[in-house]
Amino acid sequence: MVSSNWLPTLVKRSERGPFMKESEFDLMLAKRVKALVELHGIAYDPDFIVPADDELADKIYQSAVDLIEEVGVYIQSTERRILFYKEEISEAVENAPSEVRLGEGKDTVIERHRSIGDLAPCCVHSGPTGTPISEEYHGVILQSCAQEPLVDCLGHGSVATYHGQPIISGSPLEILAAQRDAVQAREAIRRAGRPGMHIEDMAVPLTAAGKLSTFLPQIGLRPCDGLLVSQIPELKTNYDQLSRVAYLHSVGMHVVDLMTPLIGGLGGGAEGTAIVTVASHLLGILCYQASYHFVGHMSLQWSHNTGPMGLWIQAVTGQALARNTPIVSVNDLYTRAGLGTSQVLWEIAAGAMVGTVCGLHQHGTGATGGKMKDHASGLEARFQAEVADAVLGKDREEVNRFVLHCLEQYEGKLGEPDVGKPFPALYDLNTLEPEPEWLDPYHEVKDELNSMGLDFSRRAGEPKSI
Amino acid sequence: MPKDFEQIKRELEEAIKKGEKETASTLTQQALGQGVDPLDIVQKIMVPALTDVGQRFQNFEIYLPELMMAGDAAEKVTQLVEEITLARGETSMSQGTVILGQVEGDMHDIGRNILGTLLNSHGFKVLDLGRDVPASKFLEAAEKENADIIGLSALMTTTLPAQKRTINLFSEVGQRDEYYVIVGGGAVSPEWSEEIGADGYAPDAAGAVDLCKSLLQE
Repeated sequence: MVSSNWLPTLVKRSERGPFMKESEFDLMLAKRVKALVELHGIAYDPDFIVPADDELADKIYQSAVDLIEEVGVYIQSTERRILFYKEEISEAVENAPSEVRLGEGKDTVIERHRSIGDLAPCCVHSGPTGTPISEEYHGVILQSCAQEPLVDCLGHGSVATYHGQPIISGSPLEILAAQRDAVQAREAIRRAGRPGMHIEDMAVPLTAAGKLSTFLPQIGLRPCDGLLVSQIPELKTNYDQLSRVAYLHSVGMHVVDLMTPLIGGLGGGAEGTAIVTVASHLLGILCYQASYHFVGHMSLQWSHNTGPMGLWIQAVTGQALARNTPIVSVNDLYTRAGLGTSQVLWEIAAGAMVGTVCGLHQHGTGATGGKMKDHASGLEARFQAEVADAVLGKDREEVNRFVLHCLEQYEGKLGEPDVGKPFPALYDLNTLEPEPEWLDPYHEVKDELNSMGLDFSRRAGEPKSI
Repeated sequence: MPKDFEQIKRELEEAIKKGEKETASTLTQQALGQGVDPLDIVQKIMVPALTDVGQRFQNFEIYLPELMMAGDAAEKVTQLVEEITLARGETSMSQGTVILGQVEGDMHDIGRNILGTLLNSHGFKVLDLGRDVPASKFLEAAEKENADIIGLSALMTTTLPAQKRTINLFSEVGQRDEYYVIVGGGAVSPEWSEEIGADGYAPDAAGAVDLCKSLLQE
């Protein structure tokens, strides 16, 4: 499989693999995950959100390999399963990239595989993660993120209109809007003085045509940038997504593997969802040959991943991948609370700490679970990066205590979170700097974290060796 | 030795809750064979069992696999009860017919699948048209199935316009008043529902079941 002929091989298997109705695949997967959890005695313990248990991490990894080997990957386009031999899985994992060069020129970052307790700072991806953003504020929100010195890569928001007209998926408006946004992202990083910063995606288009139309090396996306290729939960993909893979590899762009395993979904509880999340990484290696991966699991209940189960899944998934693969993976935080609140910062702090010590890079933040418009800014990205830096060198036991303390601040409010305010209410739109209303909780939470033992002395702008 | 109703009730409820389809089927056949009223099987056993399952799913005490398996077992019970009812020349016990689908361009599944399972378990007949459904397919299915409710799901902001387009088509062909049209999905808000003239919106699957019940009681 690890050859230049891998996509034709995948298509061949998609056409000839065992036929199965999608609902039957779902049921088979759910039952198999449950059996693997029982077989390996994998247990979620809310007192140990960051388990210091290598054996647990290895069991989860082995379960994920077994799951992929037994159920395969479901291709919706043909209603068939692609099956892989165990040797193919091992070979693909061994050959997956352990570091990727993102961006260009002076703004290039090398994003490397991280180990558990790695001392190297995390690479920080920012931008309105899966968040609806208004046409009016999209450019300045992107710039507010790109201008943060600790931010290394720029994400993208979901803008619903083109010159005020609703963007209809699959219509010409989708391509016009996608290209507008690609140009806007490049302009945002140029204005921030970082013209070579890696742009990781354009979120507006849903179709392959829309996504790929953003490859405009002079004015939009370039080979040093990337586009997300999605998985469909759980362990599914289709020809549309695989076609994106073919194109991105052909022009030398980065394939960014986006998975959204659902906590409480087909994987069941935390244990099964962790297995599915690791298995989803294997899908991203086998089917997408991705440059890097986003751990985008989220709760079926409230579309967040900063609750105890979501954090535990991030912790054990990161550790399983750190110990058993060479790949580059990035957390992808979705909070319940909105911008401008202490709660959102506590949620981000917990997620950032877990990712850092468990071998992941950082991506934030889909505030309000990606539900409310314009809930993204540079300040929470700065905060996430600072917290990630501050826990470098801490061990898992200590970070577990920090995370439990963070959870005490917000766990009881997950049902009715503080929704906060959107970007224009929290930033000065002339200076593009955060207003005191947003800076105050930022300083308060940082002070409290500092009193717990987190050292924030590495200043913004100080060079880091990722 | 024949079981009394309480014993059947206890065992069948347990089988449905645990998603034991074969056991649920056997117990239903036994009950019907002993002359238990099919209406009692649905109203006194199945609906309470599934209400409990749905509530525990809503509370995150159980997860999607358990919900799916309970739904699967309940569907088997419904099928057996319907066969007997129709064979006796009585009318269907269905609460109503609901057409579900992801509007054009939207490729998501899970939320709609959960709603389908819950609606089924509450006695609705559900026709799931799947993902990426053009407006005309909703219309065609609604006419063919003599539907009561059309459920339009959209998870992405860029597929919201397709909800509006679908409702507009029903209006254009003069069939908007024939059906209730409800909307849901991650991108949908109550304001959007009102703006496009839907008959209702629910933030989650359990809320959508209540919405369907309340619409048909009007």
